[in-house]
Amino acid sequence: MSDQLMIAIAIFSITYMLIMTEKLHRTVVALFGAVLMLVFSVEAQEQAANHIDTNTIGLLIGMMIIVSIIRRTGIFEYLAIHAAKLAGGDPWKIMLLFSLITAVSSALLDNVTTILLIVPVTMVITSTMEINPIPFVVVETLMSNIGGTATLIGDPPNIMIGSAVGLGFMDFVWNLAPIVLVIIVVNLLILKFLYRKTLQASDEQKKRVMDLDESLAIHDIVLLKKGGLVMGLTLLGFILHSSLGYESATVALFGASLYLLISKLDPEEILLEIEWTTIFFFASLFILVGALEDVGVIEMLAGGMVQMTAGDVGLSTTVILFGSSIASAFLDNIPFVATMIPLLQDFGLQTGQNISVLWWALALGACLGGNGTLVGASANVIAAGIVEKQGHKLSFKEFFMVGFPLMLVSVTIAYGYVAIRYL
Amino acid sequence: MRNKYLGAELLQQSMKLKQMGAEVAVINSKLCYVTFDVSGFTVSYVYNVNKKGKYFLERIRPYSLPLKEFESEDDVIAIIEMDLSQFKNAIKSHNIDQFISVSRRLERVFHQFEDLFLYYNVPEDEMKRLEEEVAVFEKDIAGVKEKAQRVFHEKEPEFLK
Repeated sequence: MSDQLMIAIAIFSITYMLIMTEKLHRTVVALFGAVLMLVFSVEAQEQAANHIDTNTIGLLIGMMIIVSIIRRTGIFEYLAIHAAKLAGGDPWKIMLLFSLITAVSSALLDNVTTILLIVPVTMVITSTMEINPIPFVVVETLMSNIGGTATLIGDPPNIMIGSAVGLGFMDFVWNLAPIVLVIIVVNLLILKFLYRKTLQASDEQKKRVMDLDESLAIHDIVLLKKGGLVMGLTLLGFILHSSLGYESATVALFGASLYLLISKLDPEEILLEIEWTTIFFFASLFILVGALEDVGVIEMLAGGMVQMTAGDVGLSTTVILFGSSIASAFLDNIPFVATMIPLLQDFGLQTGQNISVLWWALALGACLGGNGTLVGASANVIAAGIVEKQGHKLSFKEFFMVGFPLMLVSVTIAYGYVAIRYL
Repeated sequence: MRNKYLGAELLQQSMKLKQMGAEVAVINSKLCYVTFDVSGFTVSYVYNVNKKGKYFLERIRPYSLPLKEFESEDDVIAIIEMDLSQFKNAIKSHNIDQFISVSRRLERVFHQFEDLFLYYNVPEDEMKRLEEEVAVFEKDIAGVKEKAQRVFHEKEPEFLK
């Protein structure tokens, strides 16, 4: 083994382990690891910069800007109150409507953003009714991870896969949305059964919800109308981007810059709200994985995978779907997917086979796997943090008892779908 | 992560406040804590600077003085400088402990009076009696001022003319 190879493996392994232990901030660790690749001359600075996937970064930034503006309109508060009133204050119907809002939003926004918008308004509704918010938050968290699986922009693993492989928004909708709909229905039926005893409310509690006024939630109707226009154009752009020959980041950044232009809000204030730690985390991971590729580690791993599966795509699909779901249930799925992408690309090159099914297996496994445990996805951790700040406790065990079996059910359904449709 | 929780909390608070009929404007700002050690006494201030160029300053120790709004950073620094200078001078007094203790009691009296107003229907004659007692106290302070030697001359007193 060459020195460069040894150094690259050492830096990557230590960085990966430190990210997983969560003792230090993941962005700081990844950035330090990426810079060490340069310091030890594993790769040159320019080469490292070329590894940063500008499409993924641009798409993330664009969507963050759009969300940062649209959240100021109060639309989520409006939707939550309107849905709760539409449900007549009935807890199960509220949960059902909130789940659907979460799943749809999560398909269009990233999961963490969706949770940051839906859980606080859920907390207000449940505290108004004086009912336990935990079942609602658990269901919303599960729905955010499932809903996000359906589209290119719904979950970071999909953004990375789409960008690396050249899969467009409609490719994801066409291939993943049908099974995501089935998984949502099955999960909701099981969850209704699980929480049937806790979803009760008196007439007085229902009346408190009916007394809320959703019109008070919207405080900038002009900004909301502009947001509707921008979201509409952006969605249309995502639907058409492959046929028009645009990258998805171009669409997101067009929507973001148009919204900034017509909203007349202070751009400094909006750009401040971009999650720069997430952006730097992604950029650093791209450099770390790129360095592994350059020194030949990914090629070696792919060779190992070819040997292990004898180059059989069906067996590889099974291993990737279940393996990535279990890995994502306990580990951060972003570095996992960032590593798997070049590995699968190399696997395809070495076997010379069409591996498109492996991308869907990876997307389904990595996204749905997040529902397995409380630490399986950032959205889960954030949801637990929000409820904890309000004096409620969503424990690892409580989430695991619901999330893990449902994750297994979801992944099994997904496997059946992949096997029938693609193998 | 902390920023994310902050955003979520703000969303909940603004939703509740809007349901109460409020207009809620959230403005990014910086909050600064300033602490001085003046011969063993801690004098501290808190001020908030927002992007609209407004400054909100409050002294919090050794006893609190209410929030004031200022137009510029220079005003805030000048106020702190003058306040600190007055404290450095006042701290030499042998009455300092007693003075701080009385100030804190007055602060408590103010809050007790506020509770009286907010929680009770006070009879008119009782209210009048309290007002008279406050007038006597004000007169006492003015009388003490006449008898006492002035020790700080850099600025004119704001309330004891």
